[in-house]
Amino acid sequence: MKIFSRITLFFIFGLLIFFCVIEDVVAGVALQALQNDCARVEQLSLEKDDIRDMELALAVDTLEYNWTVNESNLCYLVNHKNIQEVGVEISKLKVYQSENDVKEFRASLEAVKFYAHSYRHFMGANLHNVI
Amino acid sequence: MAHTSDMLTIIIRSIIIYIVVLFLFRIMGKRQLGQMQPFELVLTLIIADLATIPMAEIGVPVLHGIIPLFTLVVLHFVLTFLCRVSTKFSMLVSGKPVIVINPKGIDYKALKKLNISIEDVFEAMRGLGYFSLDQVEYAIMETNGKLSILAKSNVSPVTNENLKIDVAPAVIPISIVSEGKVMKANLQEAQVSEDFILDFLHKKIGVKTKIKDVLVMTIDKNGLVYLQMMKGESQTFENVREVA
Repeated sequence: MKIFSRITLFFIFGLLIFFCVIEDVVAGVALQALQNDCARVEQLSLEKDDIRDMELALAVDTLEYNWTVNESNLCYLVNHKNIQEVGVEISKLKVYQSENDVKEFRASLEAVKFYAHSYRHFMGANLHNVI
Repeated sequence: MAHTSDMLTIIIRSIIIYIVVLFLFRIMGKRQLGQMQPFELVLTLIIADLATIPMAEIGVPVLHGIIPLFTLVVLHFVLTFLCRVSTKFSMLVSGKPVIVINPKGIDYKALKKLNISIEDVFEAMRGLGYFSLDQVEYAIMETNGKLSILAKSNVSPVTNENLKIDVAPAVIPISIVSEGKVMKANLQEAQVSEDFILDFLHKKIGVKTKIKDVLVMTIDKNGLVYLQMMKGESQTFENVREVA
């Protein structure tokens, strides 16, 4: 094997490890941030009788902004179709909040939490995913 | 506008994937293109399939196409290495050459094991220039699916050695001009310079002749030049090194 091929092989092998680690880190950070933002929104929504509250609106905006940033980073690494539901549910959250529809707001929030939780399993290299 | 950007994305993705696949095939070696072993054929098929996914599916990151390709290349190198160090492993992965015709005739059991018909053997034989079983001493089905034939001594081609003729060692003509361009990488090998070529052309073809007028020019170690101009027939010149 030529030295060039050997170096390239090690380079490719290193690249594979690098991308695996990067994916794990980026996905972990993004989903953790999503869970934290959801927890904040949930806490505020439970404290308020009327969800058309400025503080809650800011928390939902923060959730949306953080997810948009993290989603664009995740798009380099995961299939966009697998993560687009979160964005849809966050958009619904904003609509339900403006309409003061508490029931639907909580349902959407639960959906976002569920996605964040399930993606953590979905994205890892476990036996279910491999097989 | 959305469609335009989608198209542009697909074009850029196609270029990226094409470059990556080309790069991978280059580092996997030229053997890929010709004599493929079973595992190399599988690898090539999978690569072809994998490469198309991120090209067409915009939702799929390009990395999802590139990572499996890189993984397969690493696997290929590992398999190739193991095949080189272990004959048993090589036989397990690639199989072993099988004699399908021996001096007693066709080995039908071997053919059945290989899942090929007698007609397939005939076809491969004809491809190698043997039209009768009577001409073949041994036929071996190689691991890459090609048939190798050892002809019977009465039909094998006569060689200079058979005739006890002394011949000069064979020399390879080196291309020094191709389609009007000097093959600079070959000049050192051919032991000539660009000035030599111009000088030769001026002397043999005409003073106004330029290198761009040459279709092909080769020279061998013995100084035999094959020359064909863009317009005109081919010519050969002997001992040109002395002439020039």
